Amino acid sequence: MNPAAIDARALMAIRSLELRARAVVEGFWTGIHRSPYHGFSVEFTEYRQYAPGDDPRHIDWRVLARSDRTYIKKFEDETNLRCHLVLDRSRSMEFGTVGHTKAAYAATFAATLALFLQQQGDAVGLVSFDDVVREFIPARNRPGHLNHLLHAIEQPVPGRATNLPVALERAAHLLRKRGMVVLISDFLAPVADLERPLSHLAALGHDIAAIQFLDPAEASLSFHQAAHFVDLESGESLHVDPDAARVAYVQRLEAHQAELRLLFGRVGATWHPVLTDAPLGPVLQGFVQSRHRRGRASARPALPGGGR
Amino acid sequence: MNFLAPLFLLGAAAIAAPILFHLIRRTTRERIEFPSLRFLQPTPPRITRRSRLENLLLLALRCTALALVAFAFARPYLQRPTPPAAADGTASRTLLLIDTSASMRRSGLWADAVARASAHVRGAGPNDQVAILAFDRSPRVVVSFSQWLETPANNRVAVALDALGKLSPSWLPTALGPALVRAADEIHEGEADAGRIRRRVILVSDFQEGARLDPLQSFEWPRDVEVVSDILRPARPGNAALQWLPDPPDADRAAEPTLRVRISNSADARSERFKVAWAAQDSGPSLTTPLDVYVPPGQSRVVTLGAPTNSPNADRVVLTGDDEPFDNIVHVIPPQPVEIRVAYIGKDAKGEAREPLFFLQRALPESRRQTAKVDVLAPNGVPAPGSLAAARVVFVTAPVPDATADVLRNAAEKGAVVVFAPTTAAAAPALGRLVAQAGLGLSDERPGSHALLASLDFRHPLLAPFNDPRFSDFTRIHWWRYRRVTGALPSQARVVARFDTGDPAWIDFPVGRGRVVFMASSWSVADSQFALSSKFIPWLFGVLDLSGAGVEPPAHPKVGDAIPLPAGRTSTLAVHQPDGAVVSVAPEAPRFEVSMPGTYRLGDALRVGVNLDPSEGRTAPLPADRLESLGVRVDAATSSRAVEPGRPQGVPPAAEAEGRQKMWRWLILAALAVLVVESWAAGFQARRSPPVSNVEPIPSSPVVA
Repeated sequence: MNPAAIDARALMAIRSLELRARAVVEGFWTGIHRSPYHGFSVEFTEYRQYAPGDDPRHIDWRVLARSDRTYIKKFEDETNLRCHLVLDRSRSMEFGTVGHTKAAYAATFAATLALFLQQQGDAVGLVSFDDVVREFIPARNRPGHLNHLLHAIEQPVPGRATNLPVALERAAHLLRKRGMVVLISDFLAPVADLERPLSHLAALGHDIAAIQFLDPAEASLSFHQAAHFVDLESGESLHVDPDAARVAYVQRLEAHQAELRLLFGRVGATWHPVLTDAPLGPVLQGFVQSRHRRGRASARPALPGGGR
Repeated sequence: MNFLAPLFLLGAAAIAAPILFHLIRRTTRERIEFPSLRFLQPTPPRITRRSRLENLLLLALRCTALALVAFAFARPYLQRPTPPAAADGTASRTLLLIDTSASMRRSGLWADAVARASAHVRGAGPNDQVAILAFDRSPRVVVSFSQWLETPANNRVAVALDALGKLSPSWLPTALGPALVRAADEIHEGEADAGRIRRRVILVSDFQEGARLDPLQSFEWPRDVEVVSDILRPARPGNAALQWLPDPPDADRAAEPTLRVRISNSADARSERFKVAWAAQDSGPSLTTPLDVYVPPGQSRVVTLGAPTNSPNADRVVLTGDDEPFDNIVHVIPPQPVEIRVAYIGKDAKGEAREPLFFLQRALPESRRQTAKVDVLAPNGVPAPGSLAAARVVFVTAPVPDATADVLRNAAEKGAVVVFAPTTAAAAPALGRLVAQAGLGLSDERPGSHALLASLDFRHPLLAPFNDPRFSDFTRIHWWRYRRVTGALPSQARVVARFDTGDPAWIDFPVGRGRVVFMASSWSVADSQFALSSKFIPWLFGVLDLSGAGVEPPAHPKVGDAIPLPAGRTSTLAVHQPDGAVVSVAPEAPRFEVSMPGTYRLGDALRVGVNLDPSEGRTAPLPADRLESLGVRVDAATSSRAVEPGRPQGVPPAAEAEGRQKMWRWLILAALAVLVVESWAAGFQARRSPPVSNVEPIPSSPVVA
């Protein structure tokens, strides 16, 4: 049996986060992405005419001396991927009706992704947040770093309300170096507030991927008895008869999802909504493959060389 | 079925609540934590579409409990007439206890009492036995059971009714306690067959607050005797009473005499404004300007009236403004000074401060309450036959000739007290003659340093004032010398005190109606310290009391008191009663019992104001359960309190019937039982239905397509 296709419920029964991550990653170890950077390396790619604003360090002085023309040397960047996992640890993630919460599922996903990237030789970092950024571990690829990372993911965080826009804004300040940013959240915040920080992140050159985890009951309001629904974050209570409210709920949620899809499309990010009862292996596989396709499909912009 | 508080039945409308709750879906208690309420819209709790009630058993139980509680609060009772006495053919022994106290003089009460008592007598069956006991200050038998049984059966009721008709209310206070005790004893009196017989005491009384009930506290009421209280209510409730208060002990005697009266208004009174004024017998309600007094119901006020200076014949204070006049007059006769006349025979040097006469004169000062006069007679001369007539006490300290001794003995035989305290043994013949005992001799004795009084007979009237451990110490008095009596004492002589040498110190010789008191040592300073001791004056007044000379009438005599009469009367005394009747009192009678309020005139001079017992003015009714609280078995079923208008005879009042049946207790118990069953049923249902997950799978979610 392919371990990557383990049922989510069975997977979440494994207590150790690292073991869970390894169980998923074992299934597909393949290098499936390319570096978005043009960094220092020995492999030359091309020359480009100097334009004001380019770093003068990268001017090929020999060519200048020979031909009196200013060219900039560009190299293939061999540096591995720099990936930051931006993980939502707020109270709303503590919801779950399938035997595990969204938070547990998201943590397993984050750990799996971290392990996978680490094994690929990429640098992985972590930004966890609720209403503010709680923890920031810069991306590194050193022995022991993964353990540090997994420990941080595994730590129970007494999360409070989500403030995704503020957290993203803060992450944009923290992550000055370009890389990949994987946003892991339920994205239940108002969409309009997300546009600005996401644009900011995208403008910094980050490759943004958003993974949205929703509980199946949350996605379809599959409750059958009227009850007082209590907001996990604000504590507000609302008497709701699910049978009566379901249609309107699903419509509103769909509208929200459509807005999210549009938003992420606008900022050039990929968006992966996932139900938490899905097996994690295929989810990870789908995610990585979509990244791979995107990597191949997207025309790499000609960035000034040596930018690290 | 009737209800005492039918308005509480409206509470049964609360049954609508459980029905409504059962119609509303029972989901409101469940709480679900949800990530975000952004996409949810509130939906109000709705009535089940199926318009069908769920959990019918629980609903029924809940409605039943509510209905039972509402029903219990409405205090239901069954109104059924009480069975007449002895309907089962059992013979009954009924004792009618009729209140004849002064408060029964209130408007309409006595006629009502007689009517009710007559009804009880007429209701007696052929096998029943009836006795009638009237009571005020004390109970008295009007018709006894034996009289009833001895009378021919067809004549019994007529005889009893005749005896009832002769009764009338007195002016005496109510002693209900002793009367009930007597009735409980009387009802068993001369009982031949103690088998199936019903014993009832029917109390016909106004059951007033001032009734004395204390003997019941220490009396164990017989279990087989029931009291049926037939309580009378006057036509007009409420009564104000007037009471004469004694002067406070610290009152200034020299100040102008005033009179303090208390006006008490009963709690059920309607009038609050009264007037108090002095009056005389034929003057009408007021001689002086009336004093306005405001007394709210249930309270009392004390007012001070000045002496009626312009109306010397004013002898009473009258309260006006009260509907019940029986206790609205206080008869006020200012206390008249008592004249004490004593005679003294002795050889005292005039003005000598060491001799007995000196102390005697100073021990009897004049005051507002008494005037004392000491007639000094020479020992040698024979007193004139009339000179000792007024004196009730004769003190003799010197030897007297035989003729004088005979006169003294004669006086003693008529009731006088002769105190013979010779200062010399030479008086021995006089003593022998006084007590008519030959062979008595006296010898002068001088004990070592002094003698003391060793054994005293405090039961003797002479020493009665000292019959208390605080006053009975005579050992501080030294007796320097005394006269020892030799010879045999007469058999009736009583040694009241002895010296520590064993010789008699004081001897009481009864002589005729009076007595001769022999003192072995006198109170002269040469003989003893007696006159200087604190015992002398009490002893002197003890002697006066012995003779009846110092007796004064009580300051505030009440109806029923026995007033002491002047002593030493030789003829019958005419006592003029307030109602004009004149009663002749024999010379021997020491006292006269007064039976009505008003001014009594004793003889020609002495007047005594007699008033009603203040407790009789407290006419507010006692609580109905007062007798039961004292352990008396009261038959509540047939006892009548205030008869409600419009209620058929023999039907108990609503509150009483409800109080006796107490159906509400059973209803509350039933409600509790229903609630217990309801709790059990609800718990059982909750256990039986397994917890169902609130989440049910929805086939496809378009959200994460």
